[in-house]
Amino acid sequence: MSKPNTATVLKRWRSSISIPGKPNEWESKSLLSSMGIAVPRGVFIEAGKSAAAAVDPSVLGSTGHWVVKVCSGEILHKTEQEGVILDVTAEDLSAGVIALQKRFPSAGILVEEMVPYRGGEIIIGALYDPTFGPAVMVGSGGILTELYKDVAFRLAPCTVKEAHRMLEELTIYPTLKGYRGLPGNADALAEIVSKIADLAVDLIAEGCQLDINPIIWSRDRWVALDVKAIITEDESKRVDPVPVSE
Amino acid sequence: MSTAKVSFKNIDKLLNPESVAVVGASNRKDKVGSIIFEGLRRSKARLYPVNPHEDAISGHKSYPQVSDLPVTVDVAIITVRAEKAAEIAEQCARCGIDNLIIVAGGFAEAGVQGRALEERLRAIPEQWGSRILGPNSLGVFVPENNFDTIFVEHGDRALADGGGIAFISQSGSVGVEALGLASNTGFPMRAFVGLGNKIDLNELDFIEYFGAEDKTDCIALYIENVEQGRRFLESAREVSLGKPVVALKAGRTPSGVSAVSSHTGKLAGSDRVVSGAFRQYGIQRAFDDEELCDAAKTLSYLPPARGNRVAVITGAGGFGVMCADYIESDSSRARLQMAELSERTITRIREKAPTFASCHNPVDLTAGVTNEMYVHTMKALLEDRSVDILICITFFAPHAVTDQLIDRMADIITGSDKPVLIFTEYGPFTDSYLKEFYKKGMIGFPSLTRTVRAVRFLVERGRIVSALRVGS
Repeated sequence: MSKPNTATVLKRWRSSISIPGKPNEWESKSLLSSMGIAVPRGVFIEAGKSAAAAVDPSVLGSTGHWVVKVCSGEILHKTEQEGVILDVTAEDLSAGVIALQKRFPSAGILVEEMVPYRGGEIIIGALYDPTFGPAVMVGSGGILTELYKDVAFRLAPCTVKEAHRMLEELTIYPTLKGYRGLPGNADALAEIVSKIADLAVDLIAEGCQLDINPIIWSRDRWVALDVKAIITEDESKRVDPVPVSE
Repeated sequence: MSTAKVSFKNIDKLLNPESVAVVGASNRKDKVGSIIFEGLRRSKARLYPVNPHEDAISGHKSYPQVSDLPVTVDVAIITVRAEKAAEIAEQCARCGIDNLIIVAGGFAEAGVQGRALEERLRAIPEQWGSRILGPNSLGVFVPENNFDTIFVEHGDRALADGGGIAFISQSGSVGVEALGLASNTGFPMRAFVGLGNKIDLNELDFIEYFGAEDKTDCIALYIENVEQGRRFLESAREVSLGKPVVALKAGRTPSGVSAVSSHTGKLAGSDRVVSGAFRQYGIQRAFDDEELCDAAKTLSYLPPARGNRVAVITGAGGFGVMCADYIESDSSRARLQMAELSERTITRIREKAPTFASCHNPVDLTAGVTNEMYVHTMKALLEDRSVDILICITFFAPHAVTDQLIDRMADIITGSDKPVLIFTEYGPFTDSYLKEFYKKGMIGFPSLTRTVRAVRFLVERGRIVSALRVGS
């Protein structure tokens, strides 16, 4: 299986971020897409631009339900700031976009398809540990993730096999294996964890963190519903990790 | 690896010196230098006390200065206080002494002046090539040759028979207290190394050294901070292929992700990353000194478990039930399950068991148990393919269980490729039974918690071995 060259992808991506060091959700999701990780179908409306693009049926289709979110690298807690409107129908879309634009005049707006799912919510994260360098995390996601603390860590890079062992450590693991008929796929998730670990090696320097929360199983694939990246633009802070023998 | 290989020869000398200088040795019995010097008289090394105020110490001619020594000693132990230690260490280095053990504390942990002194020490290895253990180090203890620089009680007599565990401890007192307690029931020691402030030699040097030599069959570490994180892990994985590595990592380093707004950062603290990293690299983590010693001793003596199915044999029903509960309780280290015995095994056990015995797992032979029944049942359980590990709850209270059972158990246990652990309690005689087991090659504990915990370490080790051998 050929992996995308992470370093090249990253370089291109870094230079495309509108506020250096503070990628917004749309930009972070485009990074995941370029690594082969699915994200919801969506449209980004820049600050001050008309909502027309979002409402154009040729772009998003005319049926279904939508999520409208404020989308700015400066706003990290959008739910707490009432920057998210869920379950918006096609006919209410335009009004939803305009409402958020009024609340956050200097921020962009992201309109995304509301992806249906039944299984568990998973979190995948990456960070820089001061002793050991880049590390990856996977666990029970959603808004209660910090309460349950059902997570496993490994250093990056992390093989798919090792990522599997992480999953096996989790209380939520059975839901990936058909518990109570819930859909999910451990193998595909382990692959993504390993990919994020590769990304962490190149992206995660001192002070950097990445949250994909939640990532859920929908229509036979894992989809990253929300992504938050905190990166450093200061290249000098990047530390080359000692290569890990495989 | 190259730098570490260079220090192998140094470490050889550090652990097996032919000649040792003790700077600060004294005729005043209350001095640290005098306690260390007296202790060293039991070793085979030639001793050279250095003290300008004495002519002779315990019949050994005393030298005023290090530079007056007639030979270049393999090791100099510097027992004087911090303010003088830096200067003396420099003298030793100038004289070409390869290894310096610096006992005194009061360096970096003691403010600005201390830090300045420590800086002087740091310059020594690079400038003169001498290697430094410490400062703030208790030094080393090698039972094999009686080379023992530890000046506080540490169960040294009880540990004198030696064994396969290399015990590397950043903290002196955690090391000696843990070992002192462990020595009550027997502990197989290859060597103790007190790292102290580790300005030069650190856990990486010693894990590589003990990892490479045949005399060590298990490495136990107490560390508060890890030097060269990734390299340490790489070395540990390498070593772990051949022998178990158990580490107690205490103290959470500041997470370095203080301005955190991510869930990942908050969940990491820094401790979860340590646990994950240790798992990934085949290091088994312990959380207190008792667990560290129990695990090391068990891993040194017993083969790794090939699976997680445990059989229990008991003469006391209550302990059998409790043991089954412990076995089936949750654990992040290794899940265990009660073995489902085959019909053949059950029939075999029933042949000799008392009529009212329970021949299913846990096998309860009741107070009617005899030596003969016990041995017969052990054999039947170990030959059952659905059993990976055996726990023997062995009490010497029933009148037909006698001390002769110990030798018969030892024959079975030392010849078995499946691990067998014993839980025993016998009032004030408990420890002497445990020590007796230990001398005969068996592992016993005075509580079910500790016994089952040790079993989990063996199952975890089994998994590590198969994961490392198969590849990542």
